[in-house]
Amino acid sequence: MNKIIRVFFINFKDGFKDFGHLMAFIVNYVLLFFVYIVGVGLTSIIAKSFKRVFLNIKKKRDAKSYWEDLNLKRKKMIEYYRQF
Amino acid sequence: MYILGISCFYHDASACIVRNGKLIAAAQEERFTRKKHDSGFPANAIRYCLKEAGIGIDEVNYVGFYEKPLLKFERVLYQHLEMFPRSFNTFVASIPSWFNEKLRVIRILKKKIKYKGDVLFVDHHMTHAAGSFLISPFNKAAVLSIDGVGEWTTTVYGMCEENDIHLMKEIKFPHSIGLLYSTITAYLGFSVNNSEYKVMGLSAYGDMNKDTNLYYKKLRKVIDIKDDGSYFLDMSYFVYHYKNRMPSEKLCKLLGGSISIRDSEMTKRHKDIAAALQLITEDVGMKILNYLYKETKCENLALSGGVALNSVFNGKILRNTPFKNIWIQPDPGDGGTSVGVAFYVYNVILNKKRNYVLEDAYLGPGYKTEEIKTFLDNNKIKYLQFKDNDDMLKETAKLIFHNNIVGWFQGRMEWGPRALGARSILSNPCNKKMKQILNVKVKHRERFRPFAPVVCGEDALKYFECDNPIPKPTDFMLMVYPIRKKYHRLIPAVTHADGSGRLQTIKESQNFLYYRLIKEFCKLSGIPILINTSFNIRGEPIVCRPEDAYRCMMGTEIDYLVIDRFLIKRSDNKKDIWDSEAYAND
Repeated sequence: MNKIIRVFFINFKDGFKDFGHLMAFIVNYVLLFFVYIVGVGLTSIIAKSFKRVFLNIKKKRDAKSYWEDLNLKRKKMIEYYRQF
Repeated sequence: MYILGISCFYHDASACIVRNGKLIAAAQEERFTRKKHDSGFPANAIRYCLKEAGIGIDEVNYVGFYEKPLLKFERVLYQHLEMFPRSFNTFVASIPSWFNEKLRVIRILKKKIKYKGDVLFVDHHMTHAAGSFLISPFNKAAVLSIDGVGEWTTTVYGMCEENDIHLMKEIKFPHSIGLLYSTITAYLGFSVNNSEYKVMGLSAYGDMNKDTNLYYKKLRKVIDIKDDGSYFLDMSYFVYHYKNRMPSEKLCKLLGGSISIRDSEMTKRHKDIAAALQLITEDVGMKILNYLYKETKCENLALSGGVALNSVFNGKILRNTPFKNIWIQPDPGDGGTSVGVAFYVYNVILNKKRNYVLEDAYLGPGYKTEEIKTFLDNNKIKYLQFKDNDDMLKETAKLIFHNNIVGWFQGRMEWGPRALGARSILSNPCNKKMKQILNVKVKHRERFRPFAPVVCGEDALKYFECDNPIPKPTDFMLMVYPIRKKYHRLIPAVTHADGSGRLQTIKESQNFLYYRLIKEFCKLSGIPILINTSFNIRGEPIVCRPEDAYRCMMGTEIDYLVIDRFLIKRSDNKKDIWDSEAYAND
């Protein structure tokens, strides 16, 4: 009897966990849909109307080299505490 | 002073600990969790590193993190802004993980390992460069790092001297030779960030002639390569910048078919595509290196990034460029950046003198004889105990000579993706059927894949057409060289389709038992070479603990396990419930 109850609760817990994941997915999906449309979409459309390029996808015909200057050297200690 | 280096949340999470500028321990998280390429927070690897150093987390002075998360997040957002509305699915799939973990590194460190001290964030490719140069024998070197992508950078070169690293020029996302390699890997039906080395192995079966390989000409349309090695990808052939897949329909059309199904038969077309990709990678790499030498006039090269795992390319560098010396650390990919960031913090940020050169890769967990004996006794495993090392080496060499497959578990586990004689499967390279036996019975992997030879350092030049002096990265199995023609017949099991071998050289000072075992085998066979393949099956990480090794042996057809001074015969023990076939699926 104890075993049956234990199995029931294990299954019940797993079911709830799956339900939780499903709910999280739906909520995430709906929220992210709005964030994507309003946040990303509007920003993208406005920025592109001002000819802002976010990724360097179009090739320059007259490019002699694709190397870009980086010049990354030792920085001040404080810079390494930053995540950017 | 203790520095803890951490790399995680992308792939191959790892941790290492540096004490007063010396590397005490390093390990990848996958070995503990048994999830291949585990990207999660490396709590187990950190715990191991602290245990090995004999300290608690409070004694760690700094934690170094292998990238700048916000810069990477900026790149991800820019991808979505550029590709709106086509990137919706990847946005929904990827953004939650940014807010749950990737942007909360400090909080996760506090929560999972109770660390409350300073955390330093270093640019991704800087940690690659540091992980190669700062533990190299060079005081001065040119450095090249090529991988999929860091924050923005995909390829970078620079110059290092003493404690300084200066990264001079870069190529930015989405243009990436690493991602091109991964795209074709995906196209051929293999898994990305995992099976790129299979494509490299497959390329040897294809047409390596640029004039006759049809796909070389086709793939050259995808990439514009300048004389200085800089390159630009035609992004209409790719979708990785906005989708969860990599090749576009246009690339499929160009290569004459849809994406291959996993585990499908490799035809001549697949082999030629792999060969074309390898040729293009080598084109780009050699051009960059020749240009880098022109810019730096330095004869020492420190190579890093995931592309530095391309051992076929690595083996050709010294013959095709003016560089005279090369160094690659055992784990040049993202896993190795934990070492890079730890040394960058110590040597560059804190400006402490360099006092360490990596001599071997045995930086992972080791187990005492008593611990292993307890494990064997507790699990009622039947075993024999050797009298001493001599007895063990002679008996093991005999077993290998008589074509048995031996699991070899000795000392501390290797750092990096290669098994280097601490967690290895060893067998007889002179038996021409051994490659097939290993592939089918033990490793459960594709038949085209080669096996690597391990040779004593002083014998390498006799059997292989290596650079002379032999470059240090051969100790970490990172260079492929042609096997001298007269030995192809003598060591057929390690001679690849194109007559090459990805050799590991071993010195007595690095691993006494492993070295002596090869010498004992040589007394019986006349050949100082063994087959060395990683102690795992396809889809599983290399074994770490004695129980992993035992389970792996019992689920495969490995005949014997030599673990510390104990010999376990598979047929003496009850078959385990472990089903290796179920795991052979990466």
